[in-house]
Amino acid sequence: MRRHTAVTALGAAGLVGATVIALTGCGSGFDEGSNPTGSSSAASLTSSDDPLTVMIGSSGDAETKAVQDAVAAWSKTSGVKATVVAATDLNQQLSQGFAAGSPPDLFYLSTDQLAGYAGNGSLKAYGDQLKNKDDFYPSLVQNFTYDGTFYCAPKDFSTLQLVINTGLWQKAGLTDADIPTTWDQLAAAAKKLTSGKTKGLVFGGEYARVGAFMAQAGGRLVSEDGTKAEANSDANVQALTYVQQHLKDGTFAYASDVGAGWGGEAFGKQLGAMTIEGNWLTGAMGDYPDVKYKVVELPAGPAGKGTLQFTNCWGMAADSPNQKAALDLVEYLTSSDQQLAFSKAFGPMPSVESAADTWKKDNPDLVAFLTGADYAQGVPTNKGSADVISDFNAQLESLKTGDVKKILDSVQQNLEAIVK
Amino acid sequence: MPATVAPAPPHGGLRVRRRGGVRRGEGLAGWVFVLPVIVILGVFLFVPVLMALWVSFSDWTGRGSPFSGGVRFVGLDNYASLTTGGGLATRDFGTALRNNAWYVVLVVPLQTALSLLLAVLVSRRMLRARGFFRTAFYFPSVTSSVAITVLWVFLFSYAGPVNQIIAWLGATGPNWFQDPRGILNLALGGGPGPAWLADSGFLGISWWDWLSGPSVAMLALILMAVFTTSGTFMLLFIAALQNVGEDLTEAGMVDGANGWQRFWRITLPQLRPTLFTVITLGLIGCWQVFDQIYTGTQGGPAKTTVTPAYLSYTAAFQNQEWGQGAAIAFILFLIIIVFTILQRWVLRDRPVSRRRMRPYLPKGVRS
Amino acid sequence: MTITDDAGRGPDAALGAEPIGSGAPGRTASSPRARRHRLTPGRVAGQVVLYGVLALLALVYIYPFLVQVATSFKSEQEAALDPVSLLPQTFTVAAYERLFLHSDFPLWFANSAIVTICVTLGRVFFVSLAGYALARLRFRGRAVVFAMVVAVMAVPTVVLLIPKFLVLKQIGIYDSYAGMILPLLVDAAGVFIMKNFFESIPVAVEEQARIDGAGTFRVFWSIVLPMARPALITIVILSFQGSWNELSHFIIATQSPGLTTLTKGVASLASGQLSQGTQYPLKLAAAAIMTIPVAVLFFVFQRRIVNTSEGAVKG
Repeated sequence: MRRHTAVTALGAAGLVGATVIALTGCGSGFDEGSNPTGSSSAASLTSSDDPLTVMIGSSGDAETKAVQDAVAAWSKTSGVKATVVAATDLNQQLSQGFAAGSPPDLFYLSTDQLAGYAGNGSLKAYGDQLKNKDDFYPSLVQNFTYDGTFYCAPKDFSTLQLVINTGLWQKAGLTDADIPTTWDQLAAAAKKLTSGKTKGLVFGGEYARVGAFMAQAGGRLVSEDGTKAEANSDANVQALTYVQQHLKDGTFAYASDVGAGWGGEAFGKQLGAMTIEGNWLTGAMGDYPDVKYKVVELPAGPAGKGTLQFTNCWGMAADSPNQKAALDLVEYLTSSDQQLAFSKAFGPMPSVESAADTWKKDNPDLVAFLTGADYAQGVPTNKGSADVISDFNAQLESLKTGDVKKILDSVQQNLEAIVK
Repeated sequence: MPATVAPAPPHGGLRVRRRGGVRRGEGLAGWVFVLPVIVILGVFLFVPVLMALWVSFSDWTGRGSPFSGGVRFVGLDNYASLTTGGGLATRDFGTALRNNAWYVVLVVPLQTALSLLLAVLVSRRMLRARGFFRTAFYFPSVTSSVAITVLWVFLFSYAGPVNQIIAWLGATGPNWFQDPRGILNLALGGGPGPAWLADSGFLGISWWDWLSGPSVAMLALILMAVFTTSGTFMLLFIAALQNVGEDLTEAGMVDGANGWQRFWRITLPQLRPTLFTVITLGLIGCWQVFDQIYTGTQGGPAKTTVTPAYLSYTAAFQNQEWGQGAAIAFILFLIIIVFTILQRWVLRDRPVSRRRMRPYLPKGVRS
Repeated sequence: MTITDDAGRGPDAALGAEPIGSGAPGRTASSPRARRHRLTPGRVAGQVVLYGVLALLALVYIYPFLVQVATSFKSEQEAALDPVSLLPQTFTVAAYERLFLHSDFPLWFANSAIVTICVTLGRVFFVSLAGYALARLRFRGRAVVFAMVVAVMAVPTVVLLIPKFLVLKQIGIYDSYAGMILPLLVDAAGVFIMKNFFESIPVAVEEQARIDGAGTFRVFWSIVLPMARPALITIVILSFQGSWNELSHFIIATQSPGLTTLTKGVASLASGQLSQGTQYPLKLAAAAIMTIPVAVLFFVFQRRIVNTSEGAVKG
């Protein structure tokens, strides 16, 4: 009996011990040799026969199909298999993929995510190895430069401008001469257009839209070089007060307040006669064919014209086993012709200067978006800025009844913690 | 036989043989039987808890193994940045705690009371279609939280059925899931609070915000929680009510107690164990609410439906703050334990006080 | 663990018209029991109020599901304009068409079905094994194992979200069916239920089998397990419900779209980038179909669920 006990006890202990060792030692899931700084050093690109995974955060069926077609065409000529995955929650899936050691090879990377992933070594900096490196707009290259290194190729960009429902515009008795070029004119037009269920100007209740007003007043969240927080400047106070005033008098409204998910939906359902949106609106308006619209430049504020610029790049994973093929794919996807095709399919503007003239010719109605590139402001790119902005957005949701100075002061406090 | 030999066992040598013969291999079989359970529970429940503890004390950034050489031990840094740091992390944690606290404070009493009421109604003696009513009340508990949340988002949407029905009654319903205003705040007229409440705070949230109650969006989620869990607890109460003897109630009736007194003084105290179970399960469940937030509101509007469980998930899986995410989970674990112990203490069986006992003691014993 | 009253009558009688415990002999016609059967206006009013309240509550509980099914057959415009009505003006199956033909819904359903069936079968087997061992077999460390099972029941799920992900990755079963099924194969509450049940079975039958020379596993498999049918059915119901409705585990255990289950898929329909705007008929149709299997299980085993509610802990 004693021997029996000893045997079973030993067996149990051995089993537990083996499990612990197996877990901590032979963890096959994690890359043992991955040196955080080593793999992002410029020159060496991995190469193998592995197929590529491309993860995108799609704005709709049009975008998914366009990217799939482009990647399939490239696959045929290059002989490397590639699949496109449309993420339901791009940030979460990327983060989980990196933590699990199996990220996609190429993926959409936004400006506010760059610092985080570049900082912990998840990204491969391939910017300097791009054949068309000099074709990209300098401001976009700047957006994707971290710590002096150009990390990834900007895939396209958009600016915000004012979109007007021409049908409702004419019904309210307004003409081309009434297209607003100042804040007061914008308020007046919105007042004329507000009737019944339709509000004059409807836009998303977030920094990514309200920030346009801040730019027009001459304010920014962080200084251009990203080293100083400027959230609670007088200019920003002036901008938010203007927005608050008109939210209160009912001529402006947030999309969520009128029961829509975003400004484009409110505009399409004619719950708003004007909206502030970017190039992607054209793709979405396909769902609302009855609405005729026109894109004009946003009015100038106290400091002149201003708007926001958004861009994403093709991020490449440092753990990707076939980076050479991925680089080839990126060059293909950012070529002038391919970007023009994307633009036709779902809206955003090409990130290469060589495509500008052709784009202007193909899209005479949307020239205002491209003109905006001359004076557009980028969003902050510091590490941790995404969190601060989502907190700012949370506070903006109650802008109507809130205290402008208090909101901006808290954003200032948060920004100061991350710019140093 | 020599006299020094011990007395023979009752069945001679048969006992030893029986143990070897019939019970042979039982020890080994026992271990083999429980082995799968031990392995799976150990690997997927026990080891992860230890791993999470390590991650919460480290600065692991999400790349590579958390046990690799580059990961350093940082002590209580993660916990400090959540509780005393004062930055965005602290404010988010404070907001999450406040939201969940209001959720618990409203859901647990409501669901206990409602499930008890339903159980009493359904247990009435002369009731036809008892099975139908029981089924109707229990059915929501069977469905998945994801399915119910999807349904609820529709019901409480701006142009949804609930607002439509409210409109029939003459009022205008709020934009439920987009409305971040606290209901206590609204009841007191809205607007910023008095300076003495608004200027000081705890965990980065001013006292005025702590007391502003759940937001309208959170209220919709509270109603959903009561809707889905009252059925399960109703069944527990029904089972308990059946074990309540009729004799005491009839004695009370003879003594002249009315229905309400009979319920409150006689039936309810006998339900104490079940009450305890229901409240404990309710507390534990409410402090962990995650699925509904993930599916329905993702923390919005204005972060008024963020809960610590959801915050732990977003901090780790979206912002790559794995240490903070793990720390939030453990603080939540502590909170649940504290609440359970507290509630056990409050509902414990206390000895009857002398004053109460006096009328029932025999004449000679009364002081 | 069925509910019976003192006289040993079945559940219906226990919940039925007879007052419990009043089967004692010796009650006379003038007792309160006989008095209650006379219908006074007060009693009638009381009954009316009772039925009224119950009917209203039942309506509140049932109406959401009716409106869900009705809306899934409406067009999107009608769902927005007239959300309350239970009869669509224009009956359309567009939402279902979109769901089954133009999305991954069938794949989600299949994944959920695979996982649920594997988990249910596995759980029933392992949990009854362990429950029997803890209840009947004597082996060293039995108390420790039982303590471990009880302790594990106390850990809240949220603590396990992050680390389970790490463990799955370490072992190498992340993003696979094994990763989805293995961690769910054992459930501490199930072990508890089975142990309690086995302890309530008389030992005589087993002892007899042992004397006849059967080995331990044989005794378990052929003799004891068939006697455990009521408890096994409880475990089946709980496992099915638990794994079909599970969400957070699948979020952390998988990342590829081919392994999405119904819960994860419908959640993404409701909240992710695939759901721009307010496509309520589509979302409600998905949620409705998702509910059907558990609803069917519920209606089939209703009596059992109600009767064993005392021991069942809702997951």
